[in-house]
Amino acid sequence: MGIDPDFRRDILDINIKGSLQFCYQCNRCTSECPVSNNTDKFYNPRQLMLDSLLGLKDKILEPEDTFHVFGCTVCDRCDEVCPGSLALTEVFYLLKNKLAQMGKAPASYIGQAKVIAENGKAIPMQSAIERRRTQMGLAAVPDFDLEEVKTVLKEAGFGERVKVDGGE
Amino acid sequence: MAAEATKNYVLFPGCTIGNRIPFLEASARAVFEKLGVTFEDAAFSCCPEPVGFQSVDKESWLALGARNLCIAEAAGKIVVSLCNGCTQTLKAVNHELQSSPESKAHVNEILAKVGKEFKGSTIVKHFVQTLIDDVGIANIKAAVVKPLTGLKVACHTGCHYSRPSEVMQWDDPMHPKYLRALVEALGAKAVDYDEEILCCGNGAAMADEDVSNKLNLRKYKSALKAGAECMAVVCPACFQQLDSKQPNINKAFGTDINLPVLYLTELMALAMGMSPTDINLKMHRVKTDPVTGKLGVKAEE
Repeated sequence: MGIDPDFRRDILDINIKGSLQFCYQCNRCTSECPVSNNTDKFYNPRQLMLDSLLGLKDKILEPEDTFHVFGCTVCDRCDEVCPGSLALTEVFYLLKNKLAQMGKAPASYIGQAKVIAENGKAIPMQSAIERRRTQMGLAAVPDFDLEEVKTVLKEAGFGERVKVDGGE
Repeated sequence: MAAEATKNYVLFPGCTIGNRIPFLEASARAVFEKLGVTFEDAAFSCCPEPVGFQSVDKESWLALGARNLCIAEAAGKIVVSLCNGCTQTLKAVNHELQSSPESKAHVNEILAKVGKEFKGSTIVKHFVQTLIDDVGIANIKAAVVKPLTGLKVACHTGCHYSRPSEVMQWDDPMHPKYLRALVEALGAKAVDYDEEILCCGNGAAMADEDVSNKLNLRKYKSALKAGAECMAVVCPACFQQLDSKQPNINKAFGTDINLPVLYLTELMALAMGMSPTDINLKMHRVKTDPVTGKLGVKAEE
């Protein structure tokens, strides 16, 4: 559970406002957090910031249950109330990306990413909805270039970083 | 509003509205048309979704979002979004690429493979922003023929409508005021309730249904305690969470919550004289009869 300097550097590189390292653990984030305040499970943005800034990679990424990271509902309230204007949610996105690369994102996250990667939409069109649109007098949703979307994802390195098929 | 402005929008309905609950799109298009605004359409992909896809791979999220912005940029249109999530993705990608030359150069290397280039001139607006900035409260008031007098509404803007404020640059991030103003412009009463800015729970549901249910219940109870007869939302994800999942919440907690949830343009449509049938209100999971009944609107056949 030691300090991992590379991991710490990754975190500090999201130094959008140049102030990440000035977190003084005031706990305003956790007191504002709707998840921390409405569950008995462990999710604590203040602790997650402390562990991240210290570079405690294993403590964050090793546990099998990742609720201490993915419990975040991305409501952005912590970002808003932080007296140091730290970009907490950006740090948490990085942690989530790292867990996703390790195959440890919750199934619903990977499932959605797979649908987007294969269909270019988070919700593919169904014939029943097409009929309903017509009944409502709505035009068909314009066809988009799915091959182009797939090319963009490939060039962005999506498939190399994240496995969405038959993940653990 | 100025005639040239009405021709300058492209609609971004998003996957949830376009491909799952298009009755929200129907009411939005009908309301905007009555207000003199028509939308062009464009071949957008998923925005992509900010909570899930950004959490899985931010780099891909940036590139795909930039591609959508390029499409709007090529058309020279202002993007009007019907969804908080799409709005946040498109504004956040815009913001990141506009403020980071490194990110922009990297994404443009990717986009060059498909013959596109992100320049960064596209303006993205949530439809509430279009209503306030470009249509104006006065014009909306003037279009009301059946005021929603006496209807008590719990306004729920949802998180990604205005947060993070540095990126969204719209409304007050912790005390949003424009949805309340619009609801009151229709003649209804926006009630004060403690949990107005509480997340609908949609994001939390991706990791833990139970936490998400608890957030929902807390929200409903707070709204009901303040006397709300319905909720007003401006995002399809919040709509689905608060409307479609309401029976599940009742089952999970043994409660008997019955709180209709209306998308803002549905409330506007009713106030502008459209019927529940016109806007397919029957598609709601939680029946809207208490609302239409109170307003003396003819019930749906």
